[in-house]
Amino acid sequence: MMQKKSLVSMMDPNIVSGVGRVFALLLICLAMGFASPVFFTARNISLIVTNASIMAILGVGLTITIITCGPDLSVGSILTITAVVAVILVKANVHFLIAFGIALCMGTALGFLNGILVTKVGLPPFISTYGLQWALFGFAYVILKGYVIYNFDADFRFIGNGYLIGPISMPIVVMVIVVFLGWFILRKTTIGRMFYATGANRDAARMSGIDTGKAILLAFSISGFLSALAGIVLVARINACQADIGKNLLLPSLATVYMGGTRATGGQGGVFGTLVGAVIMTVVENGMNLLGVPSVWRNAIIGTLIILTVLANIAVSKQLEKAGSKM
Amino acid sequence: MDGMTKLLDMRGITKVFPGVKALDSVDFELLSGEVHVLLGENGAGKSTLMKVLAGAYKPESGRIFINGEEVKIQGPSHAQELGIGIVYQEFNLVPYLNVAENVFIDHFPRTRFGTIDHKEMHRAANELLCSLSMQVDTHALITELSTAQQQMVEIAKALKHRSKILILDEPTSSLTEREIEQLFSTVRELKRKGMGIIYISHRMQELWEIGDRVTVLRDGKYIGTRTLRETTPDELVTMMVGREVSFLFKRDFQQPGEEVLRLEHLSSAVHRLQDINLTLRRGEIVGLAGLVGSGRTELARTIFGLEPSSGGKIFLFGEEVHNSTPSRMVQKGVALLPEDRKNQGLALILSVAENIVMASLEKLFPRKYIQSRKEKEVVARYIKNLRIVTPHANRQVQFLSGGNQQKVVLGKWLCTEADIFIFDEPTRGIDVNAKAEIHEFMNELVKKGSAILMISSELPEVLGMSDRIYVMRERKIVAELTHSEASQEAVIRYATAADHATNTMGCV
Amino acid sequence: MMKGKIERLSPIRILQSIQPVFWVTLFLMLVFNFFSSRFLSLHNIINLFQQGAVLLIVAAASTLVILSEGLDLSLGSVLTLAGITSVMTVNGGAPVSAAIGVGVLTGLLCGALTGTLIAVFNMQPFIATLGIQGVYYGISLVLTDSVAILTKNKTFIFFGSRIGYIPMAAIIGVGVFLLILYVFHNTPFGRYIVAIGGNESGTRLSGVNTTFWKWFVYTFAGGITGFAGVLLAARLEAADPIVGIGWEFDAIAATILGGTSFQKGKGGVKGTALGVLLITVVRNGLNVIRTPSILQPALIGTILIIAIVIQVGLSMRSTEKEGKNRP
Repeated sequence: MMQKKSLVSMMDPNIVSGVGRVFALLLICLAMGFASPVFFTARNISLIVTNASIMAILGVGLTITIITCGPDLSVGSILTITAVVAVILVKANVHFLIAFGIALCMGTALGFLNGILVTKVGLPPFISTYGLQWALFGFAYVILKGYVIYNFDADFRFIGNGYLIGPISMPIVVMVIVVFLGWFILRKTTIGRMFYATGANRDAARMSGIDTGKAILLAFSISGFLSALAGIVLVARINACQADIGKNLLLPSLATVYMGGTRATGGQGGVFGTLVGAVIMTVVENGMNLLGVPSVWRNAIIGTLIILTVLANIAVSKQLEKAGSKM
Repeated sequence: MDGMTKLLDMRGITKVFPGVKALDSVDFELLSGEVHVLLGENGAGKSTLMKVLAGAYKPESGRIFINGEEVKIQGPSHAQELGIGIVYQEFNLVPYLNVAENVFIDHFPRTRFGTIDHKEMHRAANELLCSLSMQVDTHALITELSTAQQQMVEIAKALKHRSKILILDEPTSSLTEREIEQLFSTVRELKRKGMGIIYISHRMQELWEIGDRVTVLRDGKYIGTRTLRETTPDELVTMMVGREVSFLFKRDFQQPGEEVLRLEHLSSAVHRLQDINLTLRRGEIVGLAGLVGSGRTELARTIFGLEPSSGGKIFLFGEEVHNSTPSRMVQKGVALLPEDRKNQGLALILSVAENIVMASLEKLFPRKYIQSRKEKEVVARYIKNLRIVTPHANRQVQFLSGGNQQKVVLGKWLCTEADIFIFDEPTRGIDVNAKAEIHEFMNELVKKGSAILMISSELPEVLGMSDRIYVMRERKIVAELTHSEASQEAVIRYATAADHATNTMGCV
Repeated sequence: MMKGKIERLSPIRILQSIQPVFWVTLFLMLVFNFFSSRFLSLHNIINLFQQGAVLLIVAAASTLVILSEGLDLSLGSVLTLAGITSVMTVNGGAPVSAAIGVGVLTGLLCGALTGTLIAVFNMQPFIATLGIQGVYYGISLVLTDSVAILTKNKTFIFFGSRIGYIPMAAIIGVGVFLLILYVFHNTPFGRYIVAIGGNESGTRLSGVNTTFWKWFVYTFAGGITGFAGVLLAARLEAADPIVGIGWEFDAIAATILGGTSFQKGKGGVKGTALGVLLITVVRNGLNVIRTPSILQPALIGTILIIAIVIQVGLSMRSTEKEGKNRP
């Protein structure tokens, strides 16, 4: 029974949809380029990618947890509380590197806590992380109240607004390192395999001798660490910190990951897609700024984007399955 | 069989799924007051045929007559209205609703205002259960019932529309012998009332006890119908398999080596295993026989560390193992191939390659870094040796055929180069050709020095492949037989406590 | 063993079946009263019931959704939007009954959209509801121009207020809750909810149109949440576009603390009332003993998480025991 085998069905479905995504990004960029002549200057592109870097760093952590188990909905709150702590310490004359270190440790510990709630208590991740964020935002509010802390030392700020070479800013450097490490861990190490296996079928992974509990703890710890890192870069960049700094980051970072092609069901996805998603999200936000979209509509638009993206992902999955099963 | 009307007549039923002809012009008939067994290997088409009758599938061609009138079954509800009730192997019950609510889940008795008439619902449910000689509190939640009681609820559910035809799909697979007897007496009662019962099974030992006639299917085709009293197990097996049974197994028996696994007084509270004593040596295949529900899978899971033991000792290569977990057992060289290979053995959205190396990650890549060249080599080797059919190693496992999926699971465990393999129903659901291949692999494995503990419900397989056989019954080991001592009768006798049986055999 | 009806009603079993939450709530009430004797005054207790009335309804909605193995993170936004539409209606001169109708209708439409995404398009509930709440909040902000809309309509306010010792809101809240309880136990819809949560495929094979009823749970939950939104607006005498933030978490927490689990349809609407009582006692009590309002969000968040951890941990142990009863 010879059937016409389409080229698409023969390829790895992830590559196919990944290419499609980059394509979409290029199209959007072209459209923006027509809308505004400033768009394609080195400066503007550097700006966009720099802005995207924070999303990307958060996104990598979120991608890892979604692959392994479920989304870490507390990323915004971990970012906030660790940034607040770091900022307080720096203003109390603690050396900025020590403050960074403490913030990163705190983020990792909070991520670990998330992992414990999932593995030992058995709460579904979207409940435990969703609940934790309220508590964490509450604590941030206790510490900072309504105040804004600003004006940091140049040392502290370097990681946010310094430049390495030419147009390549420090946030971009951090992002590149994070994305590379994320890719490496996921695709090139046995730890990454553990993540994918745990997410694809926890029972089968366990029965294959994989310590799924450890995998989940690790995934959430990494996410917590990266949230803290993103917070440091953000605060250094905008030179200010307040208690609700991370409040509006959850929806965009989820959008970033889903636009990158990672499925909500787990067991598949990757960081390069998330990178592309981060850039798309930033371009979209940039576009909303340029077009003067009132801020009240922002969340609505992003929410709609998330829904449409996930629907599209589901549809694409179904198509690829149909094509694949015809062989 | 005079005075019995023809309740059901299915003629020329054909059902096609993408790439597979599940039923090829099959005929089947049912008389009132009879228990008609539908017999065949896995994949023969028994469940498919019954799903067509129950309205879950629509056939491509064929005709169905009920009480002489032709019908076109539109769906499950329609089938129920036509008087066809089916009890699937996996119950469709809702754990936290009570018995009455489950029975009437699609047809609640209503009051004038449209709300549920609880009083009437419980009354009707009680009536149905009593007619089955079953006493269950209709207010009990399903989770509070035993498997046998749940089955009774399912039967009551299937009968609520005054069905004339009842289909039972592998009803005894999770019951104890006492519960099986209760089920049989219920079935006989229904027979007396003129119902026709279709009994799907592949457990030969029961057929003569409960059945009147038997129809055999093989590879989706109708092979033949016999009256049970006038046929023999051998004849039926030949019809099921299509050739002489003895061709299937060829073991090269050899002198066993050192002891690799020993269980001393092992018990498990969560599985109610008691006082298990067992040894396994290199070069041996030890069979673990027994009826479903006797605790064999539970024992395997306890050895492997999936659930904790509550007493006794496990010795691996002479050393005691404390607090076994799957990752530790895999590290030490133990492999467990689960019964439900698709859901417990594979990650369907991952590739063939990723699945094959899943259990060997530590072993192949001790420094955590995955060398793709090495991975490709190893994977290619197993694909070749096991003759796994796939266009390339990166194909998602979900797109492979059932038989190839099972080979991937086997490949995964072979890749670990384990010393001890626990196979749970290694050839269940596999077609005859692949079965022989698997047995060949098992033979090769022990020749190279591994040891195999094989759980199997297929007696010829257990008898043909095992050096020794342990028989389990009701969560205990009741016998250990050598290859020469073992025979079908001996195993069945221990597995069913036939020597303790009362005089219920053979009276219909 | 078969359980007779008589055994079911023995005093010991009644005591056993009372959730630990009840004792904790009792304990907390005594503690709060110790620190401030005002707590157990009649005035405050009536206040307590007034405060809990709205949550009672929203939590019941959340319970229905969770029992069907779903989740609705958008209930807070529906609460908000319905309050806004009903206040706008009554301020526009329409009769109060019309305003109530508009509020409920708003909720029904929101729920229907959510339900379509989940039941028809098979989106994962948490993404669908997380995404769509952004949209609903966006609409709320646009309709109100980002400020709260006050209302002076006496009749409208009457339903949320308190006349001497008669707490209107509490009465309405409890009344609606009892109605929902009745629907849950005595209509096919209520039973289908547990059936879908407990064994969706089995229920479908039994002839029930699970897709429709799954959609209907979200629609129904939206509708009653809409009503709760109207009640809240009446109590507050205003419609606030961000009033609902965090309510869905309280609703989920109340559901979990009331004994409902995320799997298999275990639990019920009845227990949720206890959960609501606990949460309201905690909020009210912290106020009465004059906890600084800065500390409150963090404190409440932490208490709730700890309570949930304890509740889920305990119920997991009891599920294990249940499993042992089966041969």
